[in-house]
Amino acid sequence: MSAFDHLKIVSQLLDLPIVDRDERSCGVVDDVELSGAAGKETRIEALLVGPGAYEGRMPAWMYWLVRKIAGDRIARVPADQVIEIGSVVKVKSGAEKLGLHLVENKVRAWIPRKGAL
Amino acid sequence: MNPLELTLGIMTAVGGFVDISELVFAAKAGSMFGYALIWVFVLGTIGMSVFGEMSGRVAAIARQPVFSLMRHRLGLKLGLITLAGSLISTLITCAAEVGGMALILNYLTGLPYALLAIASVVALMASMWILPFQWIERTYGLLGLMMIVFALALVAIHPPWAMVASGMIPQVPRGLSPKELLTFSYFVVAILSAVLFPYESYFYSSGGIEEGWGPKDLLTNRVTCTVGFGLGSLLAISILAASAQLFGPINVSPEIPGSSALEAAIPFGRGGLLLALLGMLFAVAGAAVETCMSNAYAVAQFFGWEWGRHVKPWDAPRFTLAWIAVMLLALLIVLTGVDVMSLVEYAALFSIIVLPLTYLPLMLLANDRSYMREHANKWLAKGLGWLFFVIVTVAAIAAIPLYLLTSGGQG
Amino acid sequence: MRWMLPVGLALAACSKGPEADLPSISQARSLGAEWALVNEQANAGKLTKTYVAAMRKSIREQLQTRASSLTQPRSPYGDEIAALMAEPDSAAPNALRNHAGKLKQIEDSLESA
Repeated sequence: MSAFDHLKIVSQLLDLPIVDRDERSCGVVDDVELSGAAGKETRIEALLVGPGAYEGRMPAWMYWLVRKIAGDRIARVPADQVIEIGSVVKVKSGAEKLGLHLVENKVRAWIPRKGAL
Repeated sequence: MNPLELTLGIMTAVGGFVDISELVFAAKAGSMFGYALIWVFVLGTIGMSVFGEMSGRVAAIARQPVFSLMRHRLGLKLGLITLAGSLISTLITCAAEVGGMALILNYLTGLPYALLAIASVVALMASMWILPFQWIERTYGLLGLMMIVFALALVAIHPPWAMVASGMIPQVPRGLSPKELLTFSYFVVAILSAVLFPYESYFYSSGGIEEGWGPKDLLTNRVTCTVGFGLGSLLAISILAASAQLFGPINVSPEIPGSSALEAAIPFGRGGLLLALLGMLFAVAGAAVETCMSNAYAVAQFFGWEWGRHVKPWDAPRFTLAWIAVMLLALLIVLTGVDVMSLVEYAALFSIIVLPLTYLPLMLLANDRSYMREHANKWLAKGLGWLFFVIVTVAAIAAIPLYLLTSGGQG
Repeated sequence: MRWMLPVGLALAACSKGPEADLPSISQARSLGAEWALVNEQANAGKLTKTYVAAMRKSIREQLQTRASSLTQPRSPYGDEIAALMAEPDSAAPNALRNHAGKLKQIEDSLESA
């Protein structure tokens, strides 16, 4: 039985925080990629993370603003990476392996590593 | 439950309760309406205790802070609107606190206001960089305990205690003209807003995560929210009551934040004045840190970034940039020269409007057994929670009309 | 004829000078009373020099702002605020309270009108 059996996508998955195997925050479930068709079995293929996934979830003017500020990248977290869905979505790999934390790591280079207790 | 930890938690809550808005509104309310608005502080504190306990409980059981789960509950669009509203109102509040710090330092040192605003921000940012979360919270909270001088000053001036006590009963003074009634209503809304500022729930729940709270900390959470906030509100009530006794009869309705310190100077002289100013300084500084970090928490949690001061600044780089940006923006607002009292008014106005959107997801989360299991709201928390939700919604609707009709409480 | 309505409303707003100035009168009254209290406590040796100087400066700045915002500066209350501002920093508390008292009377009469 996978983490996705009998799941309500909107109320139990969408917009949940994601944590990786090291308990680090690495984004939010911004959208979900489904396979299947009308009248056929529907499966969750991947979780989509990033501002590019907001398109379709907000008015066009709002998404235009988001793109200007944050870009339109999307990271795709395959469904088989998900091990648990509760108050957060837990994934089995590290954030970097899933293409997450790219901006976090870029910004980390700007922060001096001194002075903090 | 560790008694030392609990005591420190309560003392931190007491010392950290009053910020520049409560200082300003308590002094004005007392001078204009005597003891008749004490009940609003009591009501607001009960509300703060209810929502504070809920947010701490959600943090301890769901192990996620309110803003993370708020997006999940409200969805992306409404969540973004709530985030934007919260960021704006908390940024204005942060600017008011920074401006308040600069003013108080000006009373203490006589140095130029703009220079002191810059120095304040540098000092605040240094403390947030160097100190881990628990030290940040406790340093400002415990130093803010110098505000106790206001409670001692109230005792020293021998107020009519029966009238102070009767002020705790919900009332509207008799014989008010329509204009005075509107001004009274404005102060009801303003005080509720000042006590129930949204940033306090965000900071408190995020603080619970920072401190690694779990089910074993539920009692600490409950005691901190009831005893800590309750005792803290007595400081605000002391300022109001002393203002009623000292300022009201001589037509002073404090237009300058520094006037509140006179409440301690009148009975205790220079020593009282200095203690009052120092207490105000650290209470306001603590609030500046809380508002700044609250905004950074909100953004980081909404977008799923690493966050917190339980890790080093470079381990949560975007969160670090966020609080630096908030603090610098607050400083920019202060350096435009906008009056601190105006900032306080705007902060209260914007915050009360955002409040229903803050508390609704919190209520829904705390009621949700799939997250909270056996720790979901029981009948008392549910009943009080919904009652206060209705109260803040009514206040939010009335806020702008009352502000306009009373020229921001001037009558 | 509909264009006369906004013009009429604008004229009506202009003619409400004293009522529009009521918040400024109220604030100036309070600032005068705060000034008096500061000087009184300073004379009693209860305040630091730095605090007194800073408070007096703040009060003057606030009074200047209120005076500048009056729609009718040439009025009994405008003159009273100007007289208050003309007082020296260390003016006698009673003199300052006198000004505050007069502003209070003007304030009360405008509110009851």
